[in-house]
Amino acid sequence: MAKTEVRLRVVQIAFALGVVALVARAAQVQLGEGRRYAADAEARRTERVELPAARGTIYDRAGTPLAITQERHHVGIAPNELTDAAAATRLLQSALGLGEREVRLALRRRWAYFHGPFSAAQVHELRRLRGIHLTRTYERFLPDPDFALPVLGRPAAEGREASGVERLLDSVLAGTPGSAVVLRDGEGRVYESPSRLDAFPVPGDDVYLTLDAQVQEIVETALADALERFRAAGGDIVVLDPHTGEILGLASRRADGSQPATAFTSVFEPGSTAKVIVAAGLLVNDLVHPTDSVWGENGRWRLPYRVLEDEHPVQWATLEHAIQVSSNIATVKFAERLTRTQQFRIMRDFGFGTPTGVDVPVESRGRLPLPQDWSGTTAQALAIGYEFSVTPVQLAQAYAVIANGGVLFRPALVKRVQAPGGAIRYEHRPEPVRRVVTPEQAAQLLVMLRGVTLEGGTGTGAAMAQYEVAGKTGTARVAGPNGYIPGAYTAIFASIFPASDPQLVLVVKIDEPHGGYFASITAAPVTRRVLEQLLAARTNALDRRRLARPAAPSPTQVIAVDPGVLPMVYAWPDTARDADTASRTVPNVAGLSFREAVERLHRRGLRARVEGQGRGRVARTRPAAGGAVAPGALVVLVGR
Amino acid sequence: MALRGRHFLAGWLVFLLAILAWVTARNTAAHVLARELAELREERSAREAERAELLRRIREGSSLGTLRPLAEELGLRLPADSQVIILQQPVREPR
Repeated sequence: MAKTEVRLRVVQIAFALGVVALVARAAQVQLGEGRRYAADAEARRTERVELPAARGTIYDRAGTPLAITQERHHVGIAPNELTDAAAATRLLQSALGLGEREVRLALRRRWAYFHGPFSAAQVHELRRLRGIHLTRTYERFLPDPDFALPVLGRPAAEGREASGVERLLDSVLAGTPGSAVVLRDGEGRVYESPSRLDAFPVPGDDVYLTLDAQVQEIVETALADALERFRAAGGDIVVLDPHTGEILGLASRRADGSQPATAFTSVFEPGSTAKVIVAAGLLVNDLVHPTDSVWGENGRWRLPYRVLEDEHPVQWATLEHAIQVSSNIATVKFAERLTRTQQFRIMRDFGFGTPTGVDVPVESRGRLPLPQDWSGTTAQALAIGYEFSVTPVQLAQAYAVIANGGVLFRPALVKRVQAPGGAIRYEHRPEPVRRVVTPEQAAQLLVMLRGVTLEGGTGTGAAMAQYEVAGKTGTARVAGPNGYIPGAYTAIFASIFPASDPQLVLVVKIDEPHGGYFASITAAPVTRRVLEQLLAARTNALDRRRLARPAAPSPTQVIAVDPGVLPMVYAWPDTARDADTASRTVPNVAGLSFREAVERLHRRGLRARVEGQGRGRVARTRPAAGGAVAPGALVVLVGR
Repeated sequence: MALRGRHFLAGWLVFLLAILAWVTARNTAAHVLARELAELREERSAREAERAELLRRIREGSSLGTLRPLAEELGLRLPADSQVIILQQPVREPR
């Protein structure tokens, strides 16, 4: 008995010791090393992942999607988890468009993977199958892959830099990625764990461009047709709203299919399309009267260093007639009335030699030599569109000055930026840079350009039966590394439509056309064809109510009655007509580049003059920042 | 007293069970909703993908590149500007 009790006691003690040891070990694991084990287990079973944000959509001005973000998937399969391998094989074949052999071979492995990527519609049926694991990714999808591609560009990808609007507005389009903790199994497969979502991904903002999809398609097609028809090397077409500076269509193409310079970067000598700038300079400086004539030398004029020739010889020509028949001789003779400074200033005022400031990552400023760098013949060359270069957008911007009554507007490509919830983050408003000519002078220039498409003018190829087109032809020689290339020309037609109540500015440029290189038989007919298509299309780029109503008596009156387009505050520096006469403060532009400072002053309705070379950054202004000045007052920028 | 003690214990057990049932029901409902939400999200993704594909087909089908050869086959052509008639909106006379 005693022995039994002893044995029992021993067993009890042993059991108790065992329990104590177990509890002690449990306490050690839980209390002493618990955190380390928990962290280790957590690290094995969970992972913090970044949830990609959907990139914002790019639309045209009417809401047509041009670039959208699509959810795409890579498909992983765990064959041992499949309940019905035969059915899964059939579904994988039909949904993903894969071959039977390919699927069967893949399913023999422990882990099958199809990179794809596959659309959400393709993988939709696969989701209900056990053993199918999808990895989501976002991809840019262009409904029409070639549509306005140089403008839209592409987002950055591995081994490729972003370009176009995708690059310029990347921070706006990209959105903010979210983060979540996901469960991971022994095979490394990820399982969503909705309860562990740390931050929701915020989709990027949507961007509405000023482009009109229909206008864009018309100009792209017209340019492609023109290159084929004239066997040209390349070309550009720009369509601009002259009252807002909004670019409605923009096409650039090279015949060999290479990536062309865009209408923002392709520079060329504008030839005779620049003659109207001389006319503007003469009007602004009151150096010409409508009845003034110059002798046209019967089409050939020998100068000390060059011989000028006219394609359409004239005898006596007024300025209007010189523009109509594109007389080099008469234009040069009229231009001699301008001083170098006057000629340079009017060209600068029309925006030549300086970037337009349009919303693109890369833009050329063209080339306009300073007066001190001119040779003895530069003034003559500039008058007929040589020795300086412009981009198609700059030329369109300059003609828009004449079309809208005299104001230079900054061209725009982005109309609106909208948050996913619908809030408007940015809305384009017309940005006047400066008043270049008065409305009366703009009306006179428009009359001159109207004559170009009338009988006897060089632009009759652009004339329409029912609507008047104002414009100017230009046929310029193409400069190469060793001077002008023999037989190579650029044909340009810059136009305003309709001349009676301008709604559009078009610039058509064709590089090196063959079989007749003059703009009158190349660029001008292309302009007419584009306009005819625009009239027939259902685009809102043209206000048909304005087309239907009778022509206004004068362009100045048109501007006055046009609702909400040109508030008179833009009439600066014609202070007599300014409605906004309240004084304004000089902004603080210290530390900015001279270009940024000038832009800021212009937007404030002030003029700017740079003291010195204009290099580096602005140190101070005269008057000083914060001082009150009258609208249109001159602010001097002093460098460091 | 002993009976009251058992009732008290039973009451607590019932209360505990009710709480557990309520929590479980809430979790179940949340899971059902989460599943529905996930399915709806998948459905939306699928529809968006279909929409993108339809957009592409519409753009292709309505492009000048597709329509123009068809129109030319049918003997149609682009109207001249004089053949485009824009009707003027009648002006309402003031009463």
